Amino acid sequence: MTSYFPWLTILVVLPIFAGSSIFFFPHRGNKMFRWYTICICLLELLLTTYAFCYHFQLDDPLIQLEEDYKWIDIFDFHWRLGIDGLSIGPILLTGFITTLATLAAWPVTRNSRLFYFLMLAMYSGQIGSFSSRDLLLFFIMWELELIPVYLLLSMWGGKKRLYSATKFILYTAGGSIFLLIGVLGMGLYGSNEPTLDFERLTNQSYPVALEIILYFGFFIAYAVKSPIIPLHTWLPNTHGEAHYSTCMLLAGILLKMGAYGLIRINMELLPHAHSIFSPWLVIVGTMQIIYAALISLGQRNFKKRIAYSSVSHMGFTIIGIGSITDMGLNGAILQILSHGFIGAALFFLAGTSCDRIRLVYLDEMGGISIPMPKIFTMFSSFSMASLALPGMSGFVAESVVFFGIITSPKYLLMPKILITFVMAIGVILTPIYLLSMSRQMFYGYKLFNVPHSNFLDSGPRELFVSICIFLPVIGIGIYPDFVLSLSVDRVQTILSNYFYR
Amino acid sequence: MEHTYQYAWIIPFLPLTVTMSIGFGLILIPKATKNIRRIWVFPSIFLLSIAMGFSANLSIQQINGSFIYQYLWSWTIDIDFSLEFGYLIDPLTSIMSILITTVGVMILIYSDNYMSHDQGYLRFFAYMSFSNTSMLGLVTSSNLIQIHIFWELVGMCSYLLIGFWFTRPIAASACQKAFVTNRVGDFGLLLGILGLYWITGSLEFRDLFEIANNLIHNNGVSSLFATLCASLLFVGAVAKSAQFPLHVWLPDAMEGPTPISALIHAATMVAAGIFLVARLIPLFIDIPYIMNFISLLGVITVLLGATFSLAQRDIKRSLAYSTMSQLGYIMLALGIGSYRAALFHLITHAYSKALLFLGSGSIIHSMEPIVGYSPEKSQNMVLMGGLTRYVPITRTTFLLGTLSLCGIPPLACFWSKDEILNDSWLYSPIFAIIPYFTIGLTAFYMFRVYLLTFDGYLRVYFQNHSSTKNNLFYSISLWGKEAPKTFNKNLLLSTMNNKVYFFSKDTYKIIDNDKIRYFSTYFGNKYTSTYPHESDNTMLFPLLVLVLFTLFVGSIGISFDQEVMDFDILSKWLTPSPNLLHPNSNYSVNWYEFFTNSIFSVSIAIFGLFIAYILYGSVYSFFQNLDLINSFVKGSPKRIILDQIKSVIYNWSYNRGYIDIFYTRVLVMGIRRLTELTQFFDRHIIDGITNGVGLTSSLIGEGIRYMGGGRISSYLFLYFFYVSIFLLFFLFIGINPIIIQVFMG
Repeated sequence: MTSYFPWLTILVVLPIFAGSSIFFFPHRGNKMFRWYTICICLLELLLTTYAFCYHFQLDDPLIQLEEDYKWIDIFDFHWRLGIDGLSIGPILLTGFITTLATLAAWPVTRNSRLFYFLMLAMYSGQIGSFSSRDLLLFFIMWELELIPVYLLLSMWGGKKRLYSATKFILYTAGGSIFLLIGVLGMGLYGSNEPTLDFERLTNQSYPVALEIILYFGFFIAYAVKSPIIPLHTWLPNTHGEAHYSTCMLLAGILLKMGAYGLIRINMELLPHAHSIFSPWLVIVGTMQIIYAALISLGQRNFKKRIAYSSVSHMGFTIIGIGSITDMGLNGAILQILSHGFIGAALFFLAGTSCDRIRLVYLDEMGGISIPMPKIFTMFSSFSMASLALPGMSGFVAESVVFFGIITSPKYLLMPKILITFVMAIGVILTPIYLLSMSRQMFYGYKLFNVPHSNFLDSGPRELFVSICIFLPVIGIGIYPDFVLSLSVDRVQTILSNYFYR
Repeated sequence: MEHTYQYAWIIPFLPLTVTMSIGFGLILIPKATKNIRRIWVFPSIFLLSIAMGFSANLSIQQINGSFIYQYLWSWTIDIDFSLEFGYLIDPLTSIMSILITTVGVMILIYSDNYMSHDQGYLRFFAYMSFSNTSMLGLVTSSNLIQIHIFWELVGMCSYLLIGFWFTRPIAASACQKAFVTNRVGDFGLLLGILGLYWITGSLEFRDLFEIANNLIHNNGVSSLFATLCASLLFVGAVAKSAQFPLHVWLPDAMEGPTPISALIHAATMVAAGIFLVARLIPLFIDIPYIMNFISLLGVITVLLGATFSLAQRDIKRSLAYSTMSQLGYIMLALGIGSYRAALFHLITHAYSKALLFLGSGSIIHSMEPIVGYSPEKSQNMVLMGGLTRYVPITRTTFLLGTLSLCGIPPLACFWSKDEILNDSWLYSPIFAIIPYFTIGLTAFYMFRVYLLTFDGYLRVYFQNHSSTKNNLFYSISLWGKEAPKTFNKNLLLSTMNNKVYFFSKDTYKIIDNDKIRYFSTYFGNKYTSTYPHESDNTMLFPLLVLVLFTLFVGSIGISFDQEVMDFDILSKWLTPSPNLLHPNSNYSVNWYEFFTNSIFSVSIAIFGLFIAYILYGSVYSFFQNLDLINSFVKGSPKRIILDQIKSVIYNWSYNRGYIDIFYTRVLVMGIRRLTELTQFFDRHIIDGITNGVGLTSSLIGEGIRYMGGGRISSYLFLYFFYVSIFLLFFLFIGINPIIIQVFMG
């Protein structure tokens, strides 16, 4: 309440405006666009950090930095932004990953103007959807960042990019229909005038059947995004084809929007239905861990293998959300952040090494650790992080989820034992696929048939990107309080709904 | 005095600084770091020595004053769940830390020379220091979650170090195998920790023991669930300590550099499982089933390890199986509740086995310039022999280690092994038969290794004349090339070797030697002579120090004073920890009784030695006794049955009890098949539905587009088509009422 400076509006609007001005620049080589985009991203990241440092109280579980401008009066549509402990983490993650992704995208030279514009547009959309406090605004922002992904995929992708892009857009647009239905149903229910405000919707109660239908509608949209089986098949195609900077954004941020939406809307606004659905969530999440891990083992294309590994890791988030405990939800949020870093880094490293050796199939590779020791080191470190090695963020997140499900009062002993057991089998499968991937790629001494193969090790830029991602991974792993303190209070408020109603 | 305790947290962090500085150096300023590579040894040895000094100080204080010190600080603050980090100093911790640091320092000194020509010299020291860090962190940790953290870090170090020479495909698959097998153990450990947390609501050892014991005594928790949790915890220990069902990784782990095998896979990391069980003994002691289970697995492992070691050709593999067997002894001792004997044997075995491994490293080092740098050749005992003449110091130390492991007095392992045997005899005579029998086996296989290595003549130059043709394949195969499939037993082994790689079907092509040599660890042609040479002094010094340990470390467990019971140092050390021996096992330190017991075991051991000497000794023709097969060959027709028994044993031992093959066939193939099934399901059913929907909708769209393409003829066609349908329809509808009306009149 200290200042009414519209921080969030600036944060949301700045990238897209700065990005659209890229078209008015005279064309003087790609270098200028690169630096311009990096500067914008950095500026945005600094602004975000500044705003969060000085205008955000950590110990306050309420919405802060709130802004409310009337936009369309007829159906009570407002430009309403605000953040709380839940969204601050994803927003910072977005800033961080997008900045690094633009840095990683330097090799892109074809039509770079449009490329950087799309990156910045996506930036806006993501921050907008993480910070919106209005259902319709949330939906619009949600849609806003689909289009850049589609274009990025269909213009800068691999060989099968059109197929993948079409699949992506059809899946997500199909999910969005359900989201729209849910938004409209929720907004138009009840009182005479439509309500789209999160604050007011929190206190609204619905008949059980309607709540379940609404829940289900939202759930499908998030299940596509998150992804939750069986709606995951767009993901391996998309990740296999997209340029690695796009992959970083997809794996790092886009997948997290599904989980975020699940917490933000389904948990907060529809608590009854959530407590009905949560056992199913846990079951689906557990199945997903095993199922995706098994498929990942069988993939020959190593980008797809990483893609399935991220499907498998999102299972922990879903279980955490379904456990309805303090710890489980905190673990889910931690897993969102942790996988955001690790997934992005893995895709980045996979992409860079793939560009060098021009092979995508694991059984054709081998022995590239000798020409590229740095990539090898970074890749092994991140695979270790991904298989939840202690001291890295994945371990903390997964073990907190484990403790969450164990202490959950909602479930009986037997199901708990069963679910923990199956989750733990996932813990065995994860190293098998990750380590065999790194073994097939890096170990051994196989020489390539590729003519004129002068593989360069990663340069300072790539090293910088990977170290930048590695630091928070280690940081969260060693001192998780750092992130947990952001969300603890908010999580408690959300969960109090479940016990006092 | 308090100060040492207060600053004890620094012990694990001392070696970490080396790792971090080497790591940063290698990533940020690789050139400069590599130029001063030999200098990096000094800080790493120095810091570990400081840690050794600290732990020696702590141990002395534990022996004299002995109180348990614990210090905690919070890690995550949550409302209902607080993880705390801390350290716990008690006798067990001090024993383990002094063990780790002394062996660690010796091996660091040793590996400076051993690895000096390796390209990954700095990487090696970074990994090594990190493994020391995590091991020290493991033994000082004060709660289960901390144990789990360091447990996995130790596993990761082992992974990195086994795969140290990552250009070798065998090493690559061995490290993965080790990690995955250990992960199975971690799975058990994690579930066990979660279960105990659910039962007791605490992770701190002392609270946990108290609450759990209360609950078990008051039937507050179903004994089935408690047993389940305890046995899950035990699974972790089984994997780490290479006990029976999960031992498969240990022999493969010998692909790593020899100092690593000495440090991690003989002295420290494999002791982590023992440490865990020893730490949790207060919990296990109240659950009788689990104690029986532990001792049963211990006995099985003792026997299996010893039998597998009988016919190995690789010197390090043989030692690895011996490690497995000795760890089985320790597990057995823990299972029957003789805590003191277990720890005693842990100490003595660690020193003796480290000595043996370092000795084998020295042998390998001296063989390498002659036979080549492939582990298939340089570690192959078939090619050794007669090394006494060339490496006399190594030979003496190796002999002492061998005798110690066989249990010959007055060397270290004798005292501890005898204690375990006594206790197991008191526990149950039937149970004790196998450990007693294994004493003989141990003596046999250890002496076999010794004789094959040092006795007779150097066989490298005679291998072409060897009566067994199958040995020839060693001379051609390099770099893990598959053995020729003519020889039946090798066929079995090589099929297994093919499948040992998890989930890959790649077979590595054999390329020119020169190209490989660039990638391989290249020790340089320092020795130009065609005969083996003794290693450098920096390698012999640790050997000699370890010999001293092997000679005298047994004395900490011997009570010199007959009147006062438990007057030896070890007992004083362990006083505060629970005395878990059963009441009837309070055998007085009666020298007479002690003699009768030990004479029995020593005579078994000497019998084993004798048999080995008959079969492999140079008194008989050394040529035909290269390995056991030859002794069958010369058997006369009368002894066909005997020969058959022998060959069964040989096959069993050579194929490692068929356990690896079984795992490969069942588990790996099973998972692969499951994977294929899931992938099929995913691609053809889940994705198939999506693609099918897409395809049909696009077909329909195409059809409609075709129809609406603006051609008059198709419009006319459609128009008349619909009109005719309408007419038909109308006719039927229209006719019916007319007919009905007609009939109804």
